[in-house]
Amino acid sequence: MLALERLRGIRVVADPAALEAARWVAGSLPVTVLRFAPDDAFALEAHRVEVRDEHAIVEDEIGYVGAWLLPSELADLVVPRLEWPLPVERPALAQGLVAGVPAKLWIGADGGALLITAAAFGEELAGRLR
Amino acid sequence: MTERAPGRPEGFSPGRIVVDGRPLAFEPGDSVAVAMIRAKEVPAGGGTLCLAGDCGNCLAQVEGIAYARTCQTPARTGLRVVRHPADGLPSLPGVAAADPSANPPTLHFSLVRRVVDVAIVGGGRSGREAERDASRANDRSVLVLDANDGEEVAAVYPGPLLVARTRAGMLQVHAETVVIATGAAEIHPVCPGNDLAGLLTMGAAEALYAAGVQLPDAVALGTRPDGVPCAHLGGRLIRFEGAEGRVVAVVTANESTGAETRTPCSTVILGLGRAPRDLLARMAAAPEVTVVGAAAEDQALPPVPTDGIVCSCSGTRVADLEVAWDKGYANLELLKRATLAGLGTCQGGACLPHLRSWIAARQGEPPPPFTARPAARQITLGEAAADTFVDAFRRTPLHDEHVALGATMDRFGSWWRPWHYGDPIAEYWAVREAVSLGDVSTLGKLVASGPDVVEALERLFPCHVADIRPGRSRYALLLDERGHVMDDGMIVRETETRFVLSFTSSGAAYAAMWIRDWIERWGLRVHVLDRTMSLAAINVTGPLAGSLLKRAGLTDPPRFLGHLRANIAGVPCHVMRLSFTGEAAFELHHPIDRSVELWRGLLELGHDLGVRPHGLQALQGLRLEKGHVIVGMDTELDSTPRRLGMDWAVRMDKPWFVGQASLRRTAKVVDQRRLFGFTMAGAAPAEGSPIWSRGDIVGQVTGSWASPVLGHVVMLGWQRRAPFVDHVEIDGREAVLSPIPFYDPEGLRARA
Repeated sequence: MLALERLRGIRVVADPAALEAARWVAGSLPVTVLRFAPDDAFALEAHRVEVRDEHAIVEDEIGYVGAWLLPSELADLVVPRLEWPLPVERPALAQGLVAGVPAKLWIGADGGALLITAAAFGEELAGRLR
Repeated sequence: MTERAPGRPEGFSPGRIVVDGRPLAFEPGDSVAVAMIRAKEVPAGGGTLCLAGDCGNCLAQVEGIAYARTCQTPARTGLRVVRHPADGLPSLPGVAAADPSANPPTLHFSLVRRVVDVAIVGGGRSGREAERDASRANDRSVLVLDANDGEEVAAVYPGPLLVARTRAGMLQVHAETVVIATGAAEIHPVCPGNDLAGLLTMGAAEALYAAGVQLPDAVALGTRPDGVPCAHLGGRLIRFEGAEGRVVAVVTANESTGAETRTPCSTVILGLGRAPRDLLARMAAAPEVTVVGAAAEDQALPPVPTDGIVCSCSGTRVADLEVAWDKGYANLELLKRATLAGLGTCQGGACLPHLRSWIAARQGEPPPPFTARPAARQITLGEAAADTFVDAFRRTPLHDEHVALGATMDRFGSWWRPWHYGDPIAEYWAVREAVSLGDVSTLGKLVASGPDVVEALERLFPCHVADIRPGRSRYALLLDERGHVMDDGMIVRETETRFVLSFTSSGAAYAAMWIRDWIERWGLRVHVLDRTMSLAAINVTGPLAGSLLKRAGLTDPPRFLGHLRANIAGVPCHVMRLSFTGEAAFELHHPIDRSVELWRGLLELGHDLGVRPHGLQALQGLRLEKGHVIVGMDTELDSTPRRLGMDWAVRMDKPWFVGQASLRRTAKVVDQRRLFGFTMAGAAPAEGSPIWSRGDIVGQVTGSWASPVLGHVVMLGWQRRAPFVDHVEIDGREAVLSPIPFYDPEGLRARA
């Protein structure tokens, strides 16, 4: 069964321009910024953020679980359970149902992907990707 | 001596299928139908065989699945075939199970999804031409689905989306364009005796001959089959004659003189022409779908049928058409419904040309073919549902804790939630008399922040917002433009420009969308973040809740409707003082990764206080005693605050809020519906029970509970007819309209 692990980082909802210019402070691991929406970003492994928006909502985000997939794992495990085509550009963030569960896919330049879902759906998604 | 494999029938040996329990040899490449004909058996009761999957004359039960086209089913060693009964229906899987209460065995059908540029249905000449054309364009992905390779397309849906059954499982193909190249089907004869065995279309005869199957005493009518040894007859087909269900002669008539000739035979080969095999084409009328080749060509209709079976799937005779037509079912769609012709397994594949010809003889013009809908091929429910999923239900971070405590889990509001932990009454008393924990992680939790946030919330909610001071909160309804209650929750003010909004478990996602949409529409400077999935919440409730939290580190608890941030049992929490149970209650919102730690810590700290968790069953009773409404359970889609008796939650003196104009308008009319509280003696009636008054049903119960603390039943229920009455009958007993809250109407316990 796919092992989905808790993802940690910082979630920021702010003015898009401020979010674009945000400075993410990393810990020991590099930061990967997932732009869920123009005003909404989840910076994986970020420890701190500097964002020029005094009303920005900045929260530690621990509500997601995920698994890094090799291109072959993406093709074998996930793609057959999508009802939508993968985006062709790289990197890309796609959001939709995976095996009927709300999920997101961040696809890197090498074709590998991070499969993400809310922690509350983690067990359900893992069970469906057997 | 060799051992017989378990389950294999007596006499089984490799290279044989098992038909009605008897082994039957087959040759490589045989379909089940060909193997049966080779063994001088008939696949089904009779009728013309096409061996092309176009008719319903070779259906049998294969591996327990009824209505399988045996001509499309490759024979393989040990395959179990049971012929359908001559009269009556084939048995269904599971019906004859030893334990009727047991579920039938679960079958798993794999599903592969593909996304291609061009999908071509049909691997014949026109299909291959279409493939060549499509492949000329660079970078075009092309997929050909060929029924001869076992890829049977069952449906074409808008999209377009193709659903096919393949030998490897189900296949769904999302294509930019679809080309239907399904060719043409052979015309079946309609005349007396056309239900006899021994009748073959020309294509079927050629296929059997190619497979080395002998066709003794064969005669051919119409187009002569290629290479098949047979006598060729001229003239017009009149009837077939038979004995013991098999054809023994064919009678033809001279086209000029009408003189009949009887020709003895054992097999009749019929080359009667073709009709477009266009079921999928008719199903898929869309710009992205093109039809090519014979499937797109108009073909001459067969002669007008005058006698015999016109639809062998439904057993509809020409005489049945006449009766229905004379009764007024005088068009193709009505005739189909009245006689069932075309509604059977082949969906008109064999009978449609004859029906059109028959109607053309009465109306002068053939009608267009009738509507085609999925499925064009029989698929089982399991195949139709292959790899589809029920709605995904969420689990709170305490899910495993509930299970470990013996909870009965069930689905509520898109979450798995504990219904009870074995003793809902004890859970109830723990709330009323001691302290209890409830997992309310499922509640919606939104953060709203920005310079315009007060303005936005004033417009969104019907209560006042600006006067909620930081550190305080207020109960609020969420209304739509028509003034109907969509959801409810708390408005919790953290700072001048930042709020937390809570919503119901089932309504949270929609409420979040609703709020975002309005804020965007208004162009207000407000950020919104849904924290529902990131924060868990535990409700600590009961008269000893404060004592427990004091032990856990909360030395200065908030007053009723107050909130603060504090470490509880070492876990950072946003503590909100409110009450849904009617007792003192503190919601502890906290990060989901600390939830188990907090839950266990509170249970341990409160052990001597009698702390125990409560499930939804107890909570339902607790809230009913307080008369608290659950949106979606007690409310209906058009429930206004007035109908719910919740005018107090609406401030019409505000300048404007969503739904206000509608409420103002509807306030001028007498309302015919109202949610009331009722009480009665005895056992609690079932939720949904009708409410009677003077012999009429005037409403229904939305929630009922035999209150342990009050000693009688308390209920919420609708009256749907004014004037409202004080005494009603529910479940055959008298119930009395009663003011709510039923319990602690002054609210002293919640504020204690």
